[in-house]
Amino acid sequence: MSNLLSVENLTMKFGGLTAIDDLSFDAKNNQITSIIGPNGAGKTTVFNCLTGFYKPTNGQMFLHKEDSKISLRKYTDFKIAYVAKVARTFQNIRLFPAMSVLENLLVAQHNELMVASGYSLFGLLNLKTYRDKELLAVDKAKYWLDIIGLTHRADDNAGDLPYGDQRKLEIVRAMCIEPRLLCLDEPAAGLNPKESAELNKLLKFIKTEKQTGILLIEHDMSVVMGISDHVVVLNYGKKIFEGTAEQTKNSKEVIEAYLGVDE
Amino acid sequence: MEKKDIIQSFKDSLFTGLIALALFGPIVGLRTVSKGEGLFITQQWGVVFLLVGLCILGRFLININSARRTEFKIFSTISSKFSSITEDKAKHFAITGILFAVVFPFLPFTDRYFMDVAIMILTYIMLGWGLNIVVGLAGLLDLGYVAFYAVGAYSYALIATTFGWSFWICLPLAGVFAAFFGILLGFPVLRLRGDYLAIVTLGFGEIIRIILINWYEVTNGPDGITGIPRPSFFGLPFKRSPDEGETSFHLFFNLEYSTMHRIIFLYYLILVLALITNYFTLKIRKLPVGRAWEALREDEIACKSLGVNPTNTKLTAFAIGAMFGGFAGSFFATRQAFISPESFTFIESAIIVAIVVLGGMGSQTGVVLASIFLIGITEMFRDLEQYRMIAFGGAMVLIMVFKPKGILANRKPTILMHGDKK
Repeated sequence: MSNLLSVENLTMKFGGLTAIDDLSFDAKNNQITSIIGPNGAGKTTVFNCLTGFYKPTNGQMFLHKEDSKISLRKYTDFKIAYVAKVARTFQNIRLFPAMSVLENLLVAQHNELMVASGYSLFGLLNLKTYRDKELLAVDKAKYWLDIIGLTHRADDNAGDLPYGDQRKLEIVRAMCIEPRLLCLDEPAAGLNPKESAELNKLLKFIKTEKQTGILLIEHDMSVVMGISDHVVVLNYGKKIFEGTAEQTKNSKEVIEAYLGVDE
Repeated sequence: MEKKDIIQSFKDSLFTGLIALALFGPIVGLRTVSKGEGLFITQQWGVVFLLVGLCILGRFLININSARRTEFKIFSTISSKFSSITEDKAKHFAITGILFAVVFPFLPFTDRYFMDVAIMILTYIMLGWGLNIVVGLAGLLDLGYVAFYAVGAYSYALIATTFGWSFWICLPLAGVFAAFFGILLGFPVLRLRGDYLAIVTLGFGEIIRIILINWYEVTNGPDGITGIPRPSFFGLPFKRSPDEGETSFHLFFNLEYSTMHRIIFLYYLILVLALITNYFTLKIRKLPVGRAWEALREDEIACKSLGVNPTNTKLTAFAIGAMFGGFAGSFFATRQAFISPESFTFIESAIIVAIVVLGGMGSQTGVVLASIFLIGITEMFRDLEQYRMIAFGGAMVLIMVFKPKGILANRKPTILMHGDKK
């Protein structure tokens, strides 16, 4: 399986604090790579560097594309999603609560629709080319809503959905930009066991059916162990272990990082 | 309710009365009157005691009401009736409103005064609709909207008086100028949100006004610009005695000359301009850029993570909102035939923002209702002279108490998957 993302010597300093220290790891296509670690290990900071919210102090991040590779450092802000096609979700859900579920999914297709609407000109003239494109966008939204079983609530406000559904909606909203890499920041936080199981199913579906690699930050070990192909363990900004889920479970370093050293 | 509660709320109301007395005593009770050789103080304690009494009574009623922990039934029924009417029958309501607006000039009770008020209300409706794009949809609180109104008015006045071009050429030009200023303001404030943005836009509004006052060579400073050409009816001017080689409106249509012709024409002009603004806003709201505005209002960070360019999106909102402000400004200039910086003070911005907020952010019908309510009430109480603004404040308080999210706060999705259920 080909490499999708390679992070090389990534370092992020906030003043005197080193949040990430010389971190290197790879993530592969059609695999779920989990980043785990105790609180404050620097997991979310890695995400913020990858998705352009922070500019790393040092190091490189490359996204591989067939035979070329693009450096994520070059893109900041909205261009990460627009050009590099790296999508993310947030630790605390960031939907557009006062907009309908369908609208949430259409905003994710904003850039294609903007071009299709001739930067609003064709749209104002109500041309057929735009209307057709909009229908396609709605179809795509419906496709994803069918998968998470929320089609019947498409016209309700996203903020009115139950918590678990909001989580799933945020993930499929990110999928609507057709990302090559999907970064999920604690998608299972606050979910009950049944909802976690559904989440696992959704992530496995994305992994196998879509040309998307998944990078996952998670505390819920039932999720991490159940679906991860590869696990990277961080502690105090350093990588302390890397391996399969099974290897991680039995690693002495990881157990020490989580539970402390037996004196 | 227990007796203890009543005594408690009675004490509380007396205390409120004390505060009211301290406030109203000097403000209302003592009044300076200039008579002959100087200023004299007259006392009007009757009014003070009336006001204080009202405060005590009001506070007492509110206390009793909250002690019962239920709303006055009558208020909730009125407010729910009201929202059910406007939500279910929004379309009928809009059509009836437009029809009424179209026939309004020919109704038997319509006189010159009513027409003037109606034109004023329509101007504010148009400004409200324009600002609704910026505040209601994009969620960018703009307290300096009057700046674009001023830019539109002055562009129109300067172009029309300098080059003598007709209204229909100057109008789009004024819109373009205002949109340009919208982008100019947009750039520095892109990073700001909420309160900070509000302060900067407020400053921008003042800057424009002060430039208009001080740039004497171009704007004629505080003296303003006079003799702005009136619009013509497709080339037919509204004049009693037209210039040589010209036919005026009343001669062409063989009517008795009346100043009402011009007023009615102006009325329809602003009505059409306002309806264009409304149509445009309703349309663009359903386009990707409109959805992006609303998404930006909801969560800017999420927008970025989805690849929406916040810079361009905000700038289009500023530019389009400003453009409609500019159109309204050129209408204002042509109606008044005279403009000066006096007409573009902060209070105008405040009124427009109040109309948008009280109408219910993002609601087009809400803007109409709020304009009629706020401007109409202020006009109705014009006889009360300086107490007129109390009526304005009272109207605002009433809306805030009974409809804290605005008169019409419900938002309809821009696109439906399952069609309209109703």
